[in-house]
Amino acid sequence: MASETTQSTQSAVPAVHVSQLVKRYGDMVALDYFDLDVKQGEIFGLLGPNGSGKTTAINCILALLTYDSGTIRVFGEPMTPTSYALKRRIGIVPQNVAVFNELTVEENIDYFCSLYVPKKAERAPLVEEAIDFVGLREFRKYRPGKLSGGLLRRLNIACGIAHKPDLIFFDEPTVAVDPQSRNAILEGIQKLNQAGATVIYTSHYMEEVEQICDRILIMDHGRHLALGTADELKNMIDTGERITIETLDLPDTALAEIRELGFVIEASYDGRELEVRCRRGEHNLMDMLAVLRAAGVNIGHLTSRPPTLNDVFLELTGTALRD
Amino acid sequence: MWSTFIVSLKSNLRNKSALFWLIIFPIALATMFNGVFGDLDKAMSITPISVAVVEDANWDNAVGASTLVEALSGKKTGGRTDTSSSKTISSDVNIDVKLLDTTNVTSSAQARKKLDTGEVEGYLSADKDGRIALTVSSDTVTKANNGTQEAGLDVSLAALDNVIDQYNRTSATVLTALKDNPNAAMTRTFWNGISTAANGTREISLTNFKPDAMARYYYALMGMSCLIAMSYMIYTVTASQANLSALGIRRTVAPLGRAKQLVAGFLAGWLCTSTCLLIALAYIRYGCGIEVGGREPLAVLAVIVASFMTCSLGTMIGAIPKLTTGVKQGLSTAIACSLSLFSGLYGGFAMELSDLITRKAPFLAIINPAQQVTNLFYSLMYYDSYQPFIRTCAILFVMSAVFLTVGVIMLRRQRYEHL
Repeated sequence: MASETTQSTQSAVPAVHVSQLVKRYGDMVALDYFDLDVKQGEIFGLLGPNGSGKTTAINCILALLTYDSGTIRVFGEPMTPTSYALKRRIGIVPQNVAVFNELTVEENIDYFCSLYVPKKAERAPLVEEAIDFVGLREFRKYRPGKLSGGLLRRLNIACGIAHKPDLIFFDEPTVAVDPQSRNAILEGIQKLNQAGATVIYTSHYMEEVEQICDRILIMDHGRHLALGTADELKNMIDTGERITIETLDLPDTALAEIRELGFVIEASYDGRELEVRCRRGEHNLMDMLAVLRAAGVNIGHLTSRPPTLNDVFLELTGTALRD
Repeated sequence: MWSTFIVSLKSNLRNKSALFWLIIFPIALATMFNGVFGDLDKAMSITPISVAVVEDANWDNAVGASTLVEALSGKKTGGRTDTSSSKTISSDVNIDVKLLDTTNVTSSAQARKKLDTGEVEGYLSADKDGRIALTVSSDTVTKANNGTQEAGLDVSLAALDNVIDQYNRTSATVLTALKDNPNAAMTRTFWNGISTAANGTREISLTNFKPDAMARYYYALMGMSCLIAMSYMIYTVTASQANLSALGIRRTVAPLGRAKQLVAGFLAGWLCTSTCLLIALAYIRYGCGIEVGGREPLAVLAVIVASFMTCSLGTMIGAIPKLTTGVKQGLSTAIACSLSLFSGLYGGFAMELSDLITRKAPFLAIINPAQQVTNLFYSLMYYDSYQPFIRTCAILFVMSAVFLTVGVIMLRRQRYEHL
């Protein structure tokens, strides 16, 4: 009974807890009272446009960056540069491939694993397992310079996970890889999670985040904007449906009438396609078709789709270009 | 820490660019020096000239001529009786340099024939007054004037001419003196005076080892190679710092302290640098024949001390924030090339500049690591005492301490403002 209570208390402790974190670069505020709670055992997606503060937040959590105020705890303990016991439980897969070009695939994985598991005998099976996990067995004697982009990414992952960490940070691990490699990487992350690892995943690819993450946090300008599952996030925004209609003869009066409809948030026409963003409603399509029929508009192909995470992201962070 | 040491070692040894600059480059440059300076050295040395000796009646009358020729031929001579002249010549002429390869002939006609066929480069004959003359062919004169054909022939001819001239003058003096005062031959004072007058120039060494003007270039080359080796530590430091590379981020997040990683990297860099420089030194010493004053074990120690200094300098440069690895590597090459100018690597002008700095602004010479590495080997070669060597080692250790202190100050941050 006591054991069950201890276990339950341990799992109740968040893998990562960040409270009121402030980080400034001179006058610029990179993290503005940022909060984050990642539960043990989940895949947590961190989304935000470029410069939103994702990487800064991760680097603060990993005790690489100084910060102005706030609290960071990992598995319930404060994280500092010398928290070696905590560091042993963490793995990192950085955005840029970080391996030694002079070492082979096997030597690279073995070295990074040795930083966590000093004993060769204990390390050897972990290295073998990591090589198999990322499917690099036939390339184990290759040096990184001879690997393709996808294989390099897989090596980068193997170096971060070989020591079987409890908490793994994946910082855009699928940048510049082909769809096959991307699928393999995503499946691998899910397997790691099923084996008990907590994953914090950042990416610009919304479909990936939607596919693998249990919960998603969207941030911008160093602030927490929204948090929830993919469905919860979709329900948070006004957009309930996007309707696209092919037509070549839409008069301005008909477009104006559509814009007047109560459920329409935004409507645009480029001479070939009418695109309408609608609020949630059961008769949106019927009402719109009625307007078009009354105006004698010929309709070609027609689609209606529910909002995606991309819509959520753009609605929350805006459509202005970022660096 | 051990695995970091091994990985750094492997990484260094597989770095083809570094291996080229640290092993191939000094060996290639030393080979080039050897090709250029080797002939220069030969041109300044004395090589034996093949001559025919006309042993006719005149030659028999030339007192001491045979003894002189035997001595110049490298044949050991002692007190002997010159049977030809029926006079006892007291001679202890022993010279280290062989100036002649002789062939005996009985007449000038035979000698001229050998000269025409090229069997000999000249011939020695005596006139009726006992004066020796050297006759050389026009071919020999042409060769002597053209330094590229037979290096050292001109020097040998000049030396031989000088010796013959001295013999003739001494011989004339003796004959004149004896003619005026026949009893003088009976006194020791007379012969001692003649002997003193004939002694000429004797080579003595004031230094630990026979000076080799060209050796300094090779030592300066060691200095340059040593400084180029700082690239090992630049890479090592860059690869372990979170603010300098992605690799550094990954390693900083790991539970092995940064100090341990840096120490392991430093030891690996030191070992690799020492090994590369020892290979270069071995080539210079045994491949090019450049001496280190017969103190090879101390030369090995010199390499180890110099390697420590360059690794410290590399640590400092590697730790400079906000500069890319490429810029730092370029900086290290620029430092090595420019400081080598002041240590005399680039020829006579650079040597003079180096000497000028040492004389007029010794502090600048002291703070030039390339100059100090050059001095390490120089002090082994030329000084009897070990003190100059020890002093240079101490200077290099002080330099290392300064470089390491500055490097550690830059590396001591555990967290960064920016990445």
